[in-house]
Amino acid sequence: MRLLRALQQAIGAPSAHNELRWMKRAIAASPATVPDLDTMVARRVAGEPLQYILGAQPFGPLMLQVRPPVLIPRPETEDWALRLASAFPPPPGVTGMRVQRALDLCTGSACIPLLLCAQRPPGTLHAVAVDSSDAALALARDNARACAVPCATDARRHTPPTNTLALLRADVLDTAALAAALRPHGPFDLLTANPPYITRAEYAELPPSVRDWEDPAALLGDLPAAPPSGGLAFYHAIAALLARGDVLRAGGWLALEVGAGQARAVAAVVGAALAGASETQIWCDPWGKERVVVAHGARR
Amino acid sequence: MSEKHARLLYALGTTLGENGVFAANKLAQEDTNDLSHTNVAAAKQMKAMKPLQDAWDHYTLTLATLRDTFALLDDQDMAELADAEAQHIVADLNHQLVHVIPTLLRPTSETADLSALIELKSGVGGSESSHFLAEMLRMYVRVARAEGWSPTILANNESDNGGVKDAILEIKGEGAYDALKWESGVHRVQRVPATEASGRLHTSTVAAVVLPLSDEPPSDVKDELFNLEDVKIEVMRARGAGGQHVNKTESAVRITHIPTGISVSMQDERSQHQNRRRAFQVLRARLMDRKIILDQAQRRAARKSLVRTADRSEKIRTYNYPQDRVTDHRLGKGNMSWNDVLEGDGLMIFIRELQGKHDVDSFIDKFVPE
Repeated sequence: MRLLRALQQAIGAPSAHNELRWMKRAIAASPATVPDLDTMVARRVAGEPLQYILGAQPFGPLMLQVRPPVLIPRPETEDWALRLASAFPPPPGVTGMRVQRALDLCTGSACIPLLLCAQRPPGTLHAVAVDSSDAALALARDNARACAVPCATDARRHTPPTNTLALLRADVLDTAALAAALRPHGPFDLLTANPPYITRAEYAELPPSVRDWEDPAALLGDLPAAPPSGGLAFYHAIAALLARGDVLRAGGWLALEVGAGQARAVAAVVGAALAGASETQIWCDPWGKERVVVAHGARR
Repeated sequence: MSEKHARLLYALGTTLGENGVFAANKLAQEDTNDLSHTNVAAAKQMKAMKPLQDAWDHYTLTLATLRDTFALLDDQDMAELADAEAQHIVADLNHQLVHVIPTLLRPTSETADLSALIELKSGVGGSESSHFLAEMLRMYVRVARAEGWSPTILANNESDNGGVKDAILEIKGEGAYDALKWESGVHRVQRVPATEASGRLHTSTVAAVVLPLSDEPPSDVKDELFNLEDVKIEVMRARGAGGQHVNKTESAVRITHIPTGISVSMQDERSQHQNRRRAFQVLRARLMDRKIILDQAQRRAARKSLVRTADRSEKIRTYNYPQDRVTDHRLGKGNMSWNDVLEGDGLMIFIRELQGKHDVDSFIDKFVPE
């Protein structure tokens, strides 16, 4: 009762009921791995995200580990990644014989590639996940283990066939170095990313549970010591990578999450880089916001 | 013997006795050896009715033995023995009539393999109602486990006072729906709430609706119950800019089936994906329930049946705490204690009696003219 009231004051009545229930449920499920209820409520009232307190976040059918400061997977991302997993076509020709390759930049917890690995038929996908943060890569490795996705370079080596994930440490903003690191893995049938897209102006206004807890490097789309780019710095870097021409296979797909109001601008940036892109779509999230730019590369 | 059992015997006699339809079929079957269509159907019917025929034969034979035994009562030497024997036979006849034959009358159920969803909503009585709802929820979870089913609480909307305002319980397992459908209706509780300083007895209610739950069809098969295009999916709360800007958990969803107006909200899970799946599960169950009710109404209209089906707004049971008595109004019995039902096997005893009563009523309705 006392805990409920404290939570209600901190986060509002409807959320308080749900969050208290989820805390109790986490304790009932594994009392050894989570703090006691008083501690949890105190931490939540102090502004810590519930996901960090519980140490886990569901993502589609997966239960992913989360820990500060790696970006917490968002429901918007869950929605489009599930949609992409069922919309992305299998390889042309004899079905299922070629292993498709997916690249995820700014992977964080590796939520996107792990969801793709879970949703696509076993033995048909090899995903490469890139991040510049050691904390993110360590978490991605733990999550791959928790989801029983082997971290390897070749899906065909496994019996029974299974989807695989390779982790790469690289800076998306350093296009030349990234392209060199990717060369042994590519070309890719699919490129996904949920890059940092918050502008410097918006960053100052973020709720404390985001600003005080999650890695600014996973949020800020304007670079330090550079003029404001409208939060688009990483999209320009991804466009530069695509413009090299050897990253995305002919006819490959591109899916980039964007911030509210950025979709048109990002569509223009990647459209120019994917010269002759056959189609560029904008997908909305469940709240009706333009959330993802999806482009299909031209078939040569 | 009750009037009802007398009518049951009459019904059995006309269908299964020597001059009955069934016996005539049997003769026709023996007469000709050709396997025409009607004979195949008759043979099938005969096979299906064999256990009932055996039970009836056993009953009539026992009855004949009883008559012979009565004759011996006049015999000075045999009277004592005959009296004991007669009592034994009467007990056997009663057992056959009350326990064995009704279960054999049960028509094969089209819903036999379905699981169940129990939706509970607190009614009159405020916080006492929501406290009792929480107790009912525990009762159903316990009974489900005891019966070998798997219960999962899909929704559990707690009230500020520690009770539960409404809840949805999934009970997976064969026969769960057929048994638990008898729980649909208004459950009334009478007791003095812990918070009531004056000690006044309160009457509160909880409404239960039990829905049939079938397995989801595989994703590549079209759902027979609805078109996906007819379902509107909404997220419940605004998220501002959303995405990276917000890390609050907002997983609540509402789905609405436009043609019927059925709307389901789910917010129990942290995963929106999971909430959406559950909402669709509840929608399927409500649509299936509608379909079953419509089918039944049509069949009943065709047969001009007199057997009533439960009205869900009807009070079906009263749980009286101070008198330690639970009464099922459809059975007219108050012979269970509070603990029998809430902690023991009383609920399943009620359910079996309700099933048996229904089977007998339907059989009489079919075969005895008013």
